[in-house]
Amino acid sequence: MPVMPRRKRKQFYVRRKVCRFCVDAKLPIDYKDVNTLRQFITERGKIIPRRISGNCARHQRRVTRAIKQARLLALIPYTPQVPVT
Amino acid sequence: MRRYESVWVVNGDLPDEEVKSAIDKFSLIISSQGGTLVGLDEWGRRKLAYKIQGTTRGYYALADFAGTSETIKELERNYRIDDRIIRYLTTKKADRVNLEALQAEIEAKAKAAPPPPEPATAPEGEAAPPLAGFAPAEPAAPTEVTAPAEPAPPVEAPAPEEPAAEAKEE
Repeated sequence: MPVMPRRKRKQFYVRRKVCRFCVDAKLPIDYKDVNTLRQFITERGKIIPRRISGNCARHQRRVTRAIKQARLLALIPYTPQVPVT
Repeated sequence: MRRYESVWVVNGDLPDEEVKSAIDKFSLIISSQGGTLVGLDEWGRRKLAYKIQGTTRGYYALADFAGTSETIKELERNYRIDDRIIRYLTTKKADRVNLEALQAEIEAKAKAAPPPPEPATAPEGEAAPPLAGFAPAEPAAPTEVTAPAEPAPPVEAPAPEEPAAEAKEE
């Protein structure tokens, strides 16, 4: 409360997100692993951007690829069948 | 030889015998075209995420094998010809294959197979939950989605106000 500049710093404070796949090297990225992939798509079926998921570039590329492969095999939808309203 | 993994989806509306023959046919193609089949994992019938050729069910089969580019060429050519196959995907797992290690792996699998009639007990457990929870799995995603999104907005919010105020003064 007594110090003003502190508030300014607070505005820019963002909790650093870490890539889950870097933290746990054993966690596989695979098109067959539907449950893991589902965590990286929205309810609309869109791929969640890196900015939000916190994945590193390398792992995001792999996740993206796996999602697209899973979509092709109809394991996960391109878009939900009944639109969410 | 390279190590590959191929998934193919047979139309799930077909009778069991048709599906079986489609699966046998393609595993045979792999072995007859210079490939070595390491494992065949049938995921069984599952609901498709969207309709394909008017059907909502598909019978999934996954073959783990070592082969050459010729094997793949022939395999995929046949996938395209066969009307029972609605989707397929072949992925490369490794660039080099150690034949001795491969043999050992096949033998290990063969040894593990006889006691239970189904050879792949572990992968089956992996395939089963998504089958049952295909629809209920969806509500789980949104919670994950909203959680990481929260920290982002506060950063951007205060910034635009300042330039706007300055512009008005001018």
